[in-house]
Amino acid sequence: MNLFGVQHARQIVTVGIGLLVAIVMGVVLLVGSRLATQVTVDVGALQTASRLQAYPSILDEQLSALRDRLEERSYAAQALADLKSTTASFNHDLESLGRARLGQSQELTDAMQLWRQYAPVIDPVTSFSGEPYVDTDAGSSFSKAGREHYANVKQAQLFARQNSAELHSLLGSLASRLQRGVTSEASRLRLLLSGGVLAAVLLGIVAAYLQVARARNERAARLAEEQTRDILRTVREGFFLLDADYRIGAVWSHALTRLFGKKSFAGLPFEELLKDLVSPTTLATATKYIKLLWGERAHENLMKSINPLGQLEIHVDNGHGGEDTRFLQFDFHRVTGPKGAVKHVLVSVSDITASVQLARELQESQDNANAQVDMMMGVMRIDPVQLGSFLDATETGLTVVNTILKEPARSDADFRKKLQGMFRELHSIKGEASAINLMTVAHRVHALEDAVEEMKKSSGLTGNDFLPLVVKLDELMAHLKLLRELSSRFTTLRGGTGTGGAARAGAARTGETGRYAVEPGAVRRAEEVSQTLQQLASRLASDHRKKFKLVLKGLADVPAAYAAIVQDVLIQMLRNSAVHGIEAADVRRTHRKDDTGLVRAEFHKKPEGYELTFEDDGGGILPEQLKAAAVRKQLVSQEEADGMDSRAAMALIFRPGFSTQDQVSLDAGRGVGMDVVARTIYGAGGKIGVSTSPGKFTRFKISLPASAATADSAVA
Amino acid sequence: MSAVNGSAAAGARRAFRLLIVDDSNIMRRRIERSQQFDELEVVGAASNGVEALELFQRTDPDLVTMDLTMPQMGGIECIERLVQLKPDVRILVISALADKATAIDAMEKGANGFLNKPFTDRQLNEAIAELIRGR
Repeated sequence: MNLFGVQHARQIVTVGIGLLVAIVMGVVLLVGSRLATQVTVDVGALQTASRLQAYPSILDEQLSALRDRLEERSYAAQALADLKSTTASFNHDLESLGRARLGQSQELTDAMQLWRQYAPVIDPVTSFSGEPYVDTDAGSSFSKAGREHYANVKQAQLFARQNSAELHSLLGSLASRLQRGVTSEASRLRLLLSGGVLAAVLLGIVAAYLQVARARNERAARLAEEQTRDILRTVREGFFLLDADYRIGAVWSHALTRLFGKKSFAGLPFEELLKDLVSPTTLATATKYIKLLWGERAHENLMKSINPLGQLEIHVDNGHGGEDTRFLQFDFHRVTGPKGAVKHVLVSVSDITASVQLARELQESQDNANAQVDMMMGVMRIDPVQLGSFLDATETGLTVVNTILKEPARSDADFRKKLQGMFRELHSIKGEASAINLMTVAHRVHALEDAVEEMKKSSGLTGNDFLPLVVKLDELMAHLKLLRELSSRFTTLRGGTGTGGAARAGAARTGETGRYAVEPGAVRRAEEVSQTLQQLASRLASDHRKKFKLVLKGLADVPAAYAAIVQDVLIQMLRNSAVHGIEAADVRRTHRKDDTGLVRAEFHKKPEGYELTFEDDGGGILPEQLKAAAVRKQLVSQEEADGMDSRAAMALIFRPGFSTQDQVSLDAGRGVGMDVVARTIYGAGGKIGVSTSPGKFTRFKISLPASAATADSAVA
Repeated sequence: MSAVNGSAAAGARRAFRLLIVDDSNIMRRRIERSQQFDELEVVGAASNGVEALELFQRTDPDLVTMDLTMPQMGGIECIERLVQLKPDVRILVISALADKATAIDAMEKGANGFLNKPFTDRQLNEAIAELIRGR
């Protein structure tokens, strides 16, 4: 039973006991009062009876006294008066006794009867009124009336003497009878009073018990109320009941204040609560939904699944002039009455912002994981040896970038020089990355290049401007580390064949320079390089919508010392050819050339060293265009450009920062490329030359000495 | 439109008569074949609201599965009409429209359940079981 039920039962018990006790007390008082009255009357009667007991002997005495007086002829009037008064009192008392209640008493009846017999003898005595004596000189003698009177007195005295004892005894037994009556009434009264007192005590005990119980109940109720209040104040969810008018009930949890920024909710229509938070459409849907909750068409689970306020996005003022986005979750539960009808709807509101954010973060990390899988797939496609060598070269490149970053610089010119140096390194890393189709790296480096480019545009550079670069560089390093881990895992998975390959590649890279015979690893390396370049060529062709064929010859003859240089140079020149050299198919057709262009690279061993030729049958290079581009890029002034012959103009392509491409893409347009190639070649002690015929071809000829100047120059 | 006159017509009338309303023939057949209730007799299949109304009057079903997006007469309007014809008919909406507002609209008009397409056989049977239980 609930608290309310207990209270109800107790109230009924209290009223019942109270009524019972009141009735008992009433009866006690009524009977007691009647008894008390009776006692009073009987005590009065007893007193009268006691008094009456004395009369017979008094009468006897007074009659004797009267007779004596008369005989002595002394004054008798007083004695007669006494007798009269006694008779009258006796009469009066006896009658009053008779009137009181003792009509049925045998003793009283007998006494009255006997007393009535007194009357004929006493009355003539008491009715005497004359002078009993006649005075003469001889003395006093009776008068005629006096003689008669004396005779009456004598007779009365005789009668009284004879009957006095009986009358006395009758009155005595009447008195004792009355006495007994009073005693019994008194004891009854005492009993009754004891009963009354007991009832009163009982009533007191019951009242005290009920009072204690009530106090206990009240305390329990107060405690329960307090607990309810504490729960409502502390609970993090907003709770309230909706009534059939869709209004909020009187009891609600304080969390609502925090959730909705209002102070009072009791009686507030639900629509009013939502009005400012949601769009009119959502409000309409929510209102319909609430109405459905009152109907019994749909079961709770279905209602839960179509709850339109399951994840409500709201925007609230954050108190700092801005807005916070929060997510609220409304849950609705029907509260049914004893007959199963919906009585209320319990609404709970919770702030699920944190969990929504968590879910989003989870999604993000899942996306990241997916990106990693993509990266893994990318890595899987690449030959581990190739990847290993790329990672080695890239790490070296980035070390160089790092070194450049750390170089002390004061003037703006110093900073610009640093940027230029970093740019070249990054550009060549990007080239290699895209050559082996490692787009995750290529895109990152591209972003880094963008940042450097942005910096180059700004004036008045300081050391602080380089900080974002450091961050980006770190990120790139981390990415490379991840790649290396992945690569080594794959290598392990592939059963260690890759490790052998990597070892061989390592040996080849650090191998002896200047050896003329084809080295053991050279053929394999040549295949890898060919594969890399062909992959790059097909990507470039599809990216730039060009059609061309790449023909590679003699790469197996490349000594280990030149392997990296040749690869770098070929990558750069292949990109240049694909972007600048080979024309689009329709342009080629107008020049009566085959739709498919041709790019050829050939490596030869020569007596004095090595020669690498690279040519494409593209549009060639127009000295005038080069000059115009150089002027546009402010690499040379208009006057300088005007004064250049075609040879000098051709040399512009080896200038740092030169590019004829205005659009920056992953492959060209940065103005870095040919200058890196040139620097690399010069660094190795080689030479580079270019020849071109507009509309027909461009050919680069690179000579390298028999032994490389220093191995490092290839990456420095 | 088809009124199914199976063996059940000859024998005792089963406890619940089901009308399937969906504009896709594949979906109609899928629902008919996937339901696993012995007490259920499929009395007809309609491909739009107008057909559904006509078949409903002819076959007097107890349960209806209702698509929402159909030519001629959509599901929501059809639900309204069916409930007017037979207030105690129980309707399960089976729709690809997943938004809650649509579901609430359908329920408001008198639908008793909502099942999203695509669904599994188990989901379908659970939803029909709910419908048969009447809550």
